[in-house]
Amino acid sequence: MRPTAAAVARAASSAAQTPADDGALIVLRGVGKDYPLARGWRRWRLLWSAWRRQPPRGALFTALDDINLTVWRGQSLGVIGANGAGKSTLLKLIAGVARPSRGEVQRHGRVAALLELGAGFHPEYSGRDNALLACALQGLSAAQARAALPQIVAFADIGAHIDLPLKTYSSGMVVRLGFAVLTALQPDLLITDEVLAVGDEAFQKKCMAWMERYLADGGTLLLVSHGMYHVQKLCRHALWLHQGRVQAYGDALSITRDYLAWHERRAAASTAQDESAALHAAGSAAPYRVLRWWVNGQSPQAPLRLATGDTLTISGVVQASDGARPHVAVGWARADGSPLYGVVSDMEGVALQRLDAQHHGFALRFEALPLLPGDYELRLHAMDAQALRLFDQVQLRVQVRANTRELGCVRLPHSWLALPPAGMADPAIGWPGWPACDVTAVQRSWPRQP
Amino acid sequence: MNQDLRSGVRHRLKCVRGAALDFWAQRHLVRALLWRQWQQRYAGSALGGLWALLQPLAQLALYALVFQWIFQVRLPQAGANQPYVLWLALGLWPWMALQEALVRGAGAVVAHAAWVQKVAFDSAWLVVAAVAAAFALHALGHAVVLALLMAGGAALAPHLLWQWPLTWLALLAVALGTALWLAAAQVYVRDIEPLLPQVLPLVLYASPVLYPLALAPEPLQAVLVFNPLTGLLEPLRAAALGWGPGWSAAQAAGALALCAGWAALGWWGFHRLAPDFEDAL
Repeated sequence: MRPTAAAVARAASSAAQTPADDGALIVLRGVGKDYPLARGWRRWRLLWSAWRRQPPRGALFTALDDINLTVWRGQSLGVIGANGAGKSTLLKLIAGVARPSRGEVQRHGRVAALLELGAGFHPEYSGRDNALLACALQGLSAAQARAALPQIVAFADIGAHIDLPLKTYSSGMVVRLGFAVLTALQPDLLITDEVLAVGDEAFQKKCMAWMERYLADGGTLLLVSHGMYHVQKLCRHALWLHQGRVQAYGDALSITRDYLAWHERRAAASTAQDESAALHAAGSAAPYRVLRWWVNGQSPQAPLRLATGDTLTISGVVQASDGARPHVAVGWARADGSPLYGVVSDMEGVALQRLDAQHHGFALRFEALPLLPGDYELRLHAMDAQALRLFDQVQLRVQVRANTRELGCVRLPHSWLALPPAGMADPAIGWPGWPACDVTAVQRSWPRQP
Repeated sequence: MNQDLRSGVRHRLKCVRGAALDFWAQRHLVRALLWRQWQQRYAGSALGGLWALLQPLAQLALYALVFQWIFQVRLPQAGANQPYVLWLALGLWPWMALQEALVRGAGAVVAHAAWVQKVAFDSAWLVVAAVAAAFALHALGHAVVLALLMAGGAALAPHLLWQWPLTWLALLAVALGTALWLAAAQVYVRDIEPLLPQVLPLVLYASPVLYPLALAPEPLQAVLVFNPLTGLLEPLRAAALGWGPGWSAAQAAGALALCAGWAALGWWGFHRLAPDFEDAL
């Protein structure tokens, strides 16, 4: 098979650049980036300081600070963080578009940055012209660009539109063309910013498949995404930026979960705070309260660390100052406060055991807890004798960790069944049998995808 | 000391060689950008590229109408077949190229801010393409206009054949160097672009484009001699109209070297500022 032009370009460029001995493609040491906020006459001073290669004086906005990062050959790294955390600035520094204000950025090998799909595409020119110029900007020679063009046209798959001006394209088609250009570049390091957030589902799948193959072929990927699914699927490692600094770095699965939990907590913080504060305020004066409680026989310490399938025993003492027999409610919620499961002793006909005139004890056990990895909250409430009103609330943050990629928050009991040989019918497992079923009828009755 | 000097020179040579290799590697980009400039001007118009020929012809017709038939301007030294329009055309088209190259070149980086902020490439090529496109169009127009005037019976000396391309080349280098400085400054201080249309007419009247140097008052002439346009346009006219010797080989080489040096200085200054463009865009 003849090597494609892009593959040749990649080989040539990696030969031309001296790769680091230890296989590091990108090394960032103590990197920080400030943006000057100068306006009006101060911009003349900015020009002067740039000319003298001095850091700009005056008001600055620090987009990144103290970043240490090494991207190894063959690594796939997801960069996550809230808006304004410095993700795009980090990519600009790595791509070489911007110069760091502090520290140093080392690059070994050919870096192709798609900081924005279709950046610099001009609406008046045809898709073909725009693709050729984009290739030229990324450093492909004329011959390489011409050789790559059929590949680009095939990947974009926008038919005769390729020769029409870009202004006639739908936004999805522009994205298709932009990604198609990217596929032709075949760089050592691929930098993409929110590339997968756009385009229709079929094209997203195509992009994912391409990136997976690129990674399997030994490519290195730096992916910025707000879609944790993409980060989990494509990246082995993740970097969490928060306000220009590294909040966490490590295994993509655990970092993305921490990030999601942090988001849920932040969203819940505003609403839950006043609710629980009200209950707490009422708690000390309330006739019913959870006096003490234990988890697996020990005083609860936040956060409680569990693994999926662990067994958990909760016990405690409820105080009822009026001498009535109180009830207790136990609930699980996600970190954002949305309820998962709740049960009240009254529902199951359980009476708390009287310890003395005012105190009642209880203990309950969750066998093989089916919670999936994530952050949760365990809550206890003291209730009145009729189990009508909540009085006190105590809660505990729970972190569930496990090595699983199942989605959602609970593991539903399930099993995969084996089909009979040759797909014969088996009523016992609800399998109608392959040869028996009418393929066309099945297809016709299939609900049409929107 | 000697060692230092030698290694310094070697380093410089390496830099120059690197820039040349760079240019060769990026020629495709320059060509693509030039093609885009061409499209920007003429794509979408009914006559298309024909405008590149029609525009200078229309201008020539206008000047002929105004100066030859209405005002009947004549220069004192002019020969029988050397109307004022011929003299004017020799200087006006180079000036139009310079003016347009400076205006478009100065805004080239800012106009393509989306690329500069998103793609790692040498933004100097944006300026090069803007300047080169302006020069290519006006040089073509100049050639067409001169050919037409000659066909109409104007007397032009054969010296023009070798001095014309050299003058244009030198002027291109001057424009490139200046445009690179302006474009880099424009990124930081956006005052350059509105300032330029105010300054350029001043330069026009301080150059022997519309009137010959001899018509200017004595003390002013001494100043105008230092205008690089005087040194480029006057010898071209002298050679073309047979009024003087024009450039000698040494003069041509010296002028070209000076202009190329100015372009190299602009290239260096631009790249000194370029790493921080993203901060200011």
